[in-house]
Amino acid sequence: MGKENLVSKNPLRALGLGKEDLADGRRVGLVMARAGLGKTAILVQIAMNSMLHDNKVLHVAIGEGVDKTRTWYEDILALMNQEEAIEDFQQVVDGIMKNRMIMTFKENSFSPATLEERMEDLSQQGIFKADCLVIDGFDFTADDSASSVGELKNFMEKNNLKMIWFSAVSHRGDDRVSVNGVPAPCHSFDDVFDTVLLISPDESHISLKILKCSKACSVDAGKALLLDPATMLIKKA
Amino acid sequence: MSVDLSKVRNIGISAHIDSGKTTLTERILFFTDRIHAIHDVRGKDGVGAKMDSMELERERGITIQSAATYCTWKDTNINIIDTPGHVDFTVEVERALRVLDGAVLILCSVGGVQSQSITVNRQMDRYNVPRISFINKCDRTGAAPERVTEQLREKLGLNAHMLQLPIGLESALEGVVDLVAMEALYFDGENGENVRVEEIPDDLKDLAEEKREELLDAVSMFSDELMEAMLEETEITTEVVREAVRAGTLALEFSPVFIGSAYKNKAVQPLLDAVQYYLPCPTDVENIGLDLEKDEEEFAVSNDDEDPLIMLAFKLEDGRYGQLTYVRTYQGRLNKGDTVFNTRTGKKVKVGRLVRMHSDEMEEIDSCGSGDIVALFGVDCASGDTFTDGKLSCSMSSMHIPEPVISLAIIPKDNKAQINMSKALNRFTKEDPTFKTFVDHETSETIISGMGELHLEVYVERMKREYGAEVDVGAPQVAYRETITQRAEFNYIHKKQTGGSGQFGRVAGYMEPLEEGEYEFEDKIVGGAIPREFISSCDKGFQKSLAKGTLCGSPVTGVRCVINDGAFHAVDSSDVAFQLASVGAFKEGYMKAKPTIMEPIMKVAVEGPSEFQGAVMGSINQRRGMIIGTTEEGTYTVVEAEVPLSEMFGYSTSLRSLTQGKAEFTMEFASFKPVPKSVSEELIKKFQDERKEK
Repeated sequence: MGKENLVSKNPLRALGLGKEDLADGRRVGLVMARAGLGKTAILVQIAMNSMLHDNKVLHVAIGEGVDKTRTWYEDILALMNQEEAIEDFQQVVDGIMKNRMIMTFKENSFSPATLEERMEDLSQQGIFKADCLVIDGFDFTADDSASSVGELKNFMEKNNLKMIWFSAVSHRGDDRVSVNGVPAPCHSFDDVFDTVLLISPDESHISLKILKCSKACSVDAGKALLLDPATMLIKKA
Repeated sequence: MSVDLSKVRNIGISAHIDSGKTTLTERILFFTDRIHAIHDVRGKDGVGAKMDSMELERERGITIQSAATYCTWKDTNINIIDTPGHVDFTVEVERALRVLDGAVLILCSVGGVQSQSITVNRQMDRYNVPRISFINKCDRTGAAPERVTEQLREKLGLNAHMLQLPIGLESALEGVVDLVAMEALYFDGENGENVRVEEIPDDLKDLAEEKREELLDAVSMFSDELMEAMLEETEITTEVVREAVRAGTLALEFSPVFIGSAYKNKAVQPLLDAVQYYLPCPTDVENIGLDLEKDEEEFAVSNDDEDPLIMLAFKLEDGRYGQLTYVRTYQGRLNKGDTVFNTRTGKKVKVGRLVRMHSDEMEEIDSCGSGDIVALFGVDCASGDTFTDGKLSCSMSSMHIPEPVISLAIIPKDNKAQINMSKALNRFTKEDPTFKTFVDHETSETIISGMGELHLEVYVERMKREYGAEVDVGAPQVAYRETITQRAEFNYIHKKQTGGSGQFGRVAGYMEPLEEGEYEFEDKIVGGAIPREFISSCDKGFQKSLAKGTLCGSPVTGVRCVINDGAFHAVDSSDVAFQLASVGAFKEGYMKAKPTIMEPIMKVAVEGPSEFQGAVMGSINQRRGMIIGTTEEGTYTVVEAEVPLSEMFGYSTSLRSLTQGKAEFTMEFASFKPVPKSVSEELIKKFQDERKEK
């Protein structure tokens, strides 16, 4: 059982966006949930799918430290190993971690321009050229958030990035939703996202609802994947 | 004699180099009557400060030895424990932070928050140590305590608020305004020993009111009483504000800031009051022990005198009467004459003499209780050992000591140096479990090994300064390891017939990589193929082989050897024959098991202005480093990476020139990882060349 087992229950795979997604064009994705429901866990799994395909992933954590972000990866890998018993686990982990870099910012020091500057610096020096970007903790309540996402989308196209995934917090008291069912604060500009997933707790389980999906998705919008609340990994059917 | 624990403070004092820690400590000792005259650090009287740090500490800008000092302020007994700031001294840092309950962070009013302050603050965060800050040197040109307070918020993420305002600044510094009691404090007398309380000067009244309001807003959330008084606009007493500040400080959600100038004897006494008011007593904090019977599972110690004893030896001192061991009691009582158990060695020790340090004298005591820091005489132990009364099997510091990653050969210059060197090494290895020493039998050189270049340099320097042992030092060597990567079988016959009784032994089985641990041996022999009495000989033979691998001569780790067959001869088989057969079997299996060389990988954190982020990352990349992440905090960036230790020699010089001396780095051992092929080939060739020369 090699590294392929690490992604057998990956949300991207389940959506049919696994391998194909990375090869065919650019995608902007969004994971939404109320605070504390596991957005980072899903983002980390999405990042890991890309890393396993030898894509370089830059994980941008806004308002979190490097250690905490790193721990997310370690914890999720350990859980996957527990479930699947990966052969040469440490070697597999060492191999895929070369494809990841974490960049953290304080809330007030992040801007798309700073991120672009940092990424160009890394790329020009031949240190790390990201193929995919994961941005956790982006403030979608800011007035200029739609234009910031637009800026990042342009940057993605200019630099040939294969995908960007964001996380966003939705609030219980805010009932606004878009036609596609995307909750506030992203309801008014959900057209910038190709895929939108919503983590939704029900009485007995947590599901990952597909609110919007790109053409490449093998699952239709409106369907949901069941998550194991203890691990946030997809439950096997 | 029982001590009221609410009147005990076990605190640490930490600072960046030249923030005035030595001067402040000197003043604290003077105002608490521990010393009777003040000597300046670089004073004309040539005496030097009482707590003057080692020259080496000044040169390096770090605290090397963890020292303990005692004083009494008003009715509170304050134990001051120095905390070494450098990560090379991991074990010592951990131990010091375990012993203290609160800390004073000293900052220079001009330099502000500097790299060492960041490192120390991070360590305190890790151990949840409540802290207060003292902005020193407010008499210096360019003093800006408000800016430093802002940096405490921005760079250290502390909820820092000034509890005082300066009356004048730089050369005009006269005293401070206490924003809690709303009074002005001046320090009269030759050494500022007389505190004069006055009304707040008119020109500062409005500012003081404004700052007090800000302070009350910040601490009101920690006290319902204060919140109510503010809402109902009733009188707010000094005590209520103090309680709120204390609650916030203990919860690590508020960090009070004090200002002054230790050199000019201004506002040291209010700082001592603050230690008493705002820092925790031993029962205010939760201390964690490790249950050795449950795989070092953490548990909270009770701080209760009635519970079984747990105490930690955190400092050893060689004195006239033998070894003086400083211990901190976490729970239970210790009486003179009691027998205690050292949980590391399992040995029983009788406590003959028990002393408490009071100002400048030693007081013989009959017993001590939870939270106390006392000293024991004549107890043979190592620093970091935990003592219990035998009812518990626990430790206050992890028993897992990291393996050394770097070594140096040291050669004494003369016979006297040889004797002194032995004494010094004996002492240092007792004090610091990460510092090891042995004699290389091939070269007859004494090798010292430890956790980093600086770690070893410091011990060489201490050998010279404290023991007068002059030694020549070889180039630092990285402590490589060898290991195997796959299972391999062996079947080896050792046979020798050269007159007299012969030697015969056959050992068969396999070796395989061991995920955790260094070595395991398993006997799966059935039917007596190897007689019982020779099984341990096989184990011994394998262990001998582990000492030096055949690739580059480094120790072999992570190997499980299993024997499942063999043969013996009724006359010629012996202990030696089976040991030699196992050595042969190991060699045979080892090369088939795809051995590889492992190198120590260090976790490196480089801190510096964001403008140098690119240059720093480039320098790490050139050194085979893997960048884990970057943290951008305003104008400051921390780059975290994993870099092979062998590539880190001379990094400080290179970093200085890359960043105009504005960036600094810390490094600690992370793990052993296989070396790349090119490096492996080089190491193997070097080892083979050396062997040929011999």
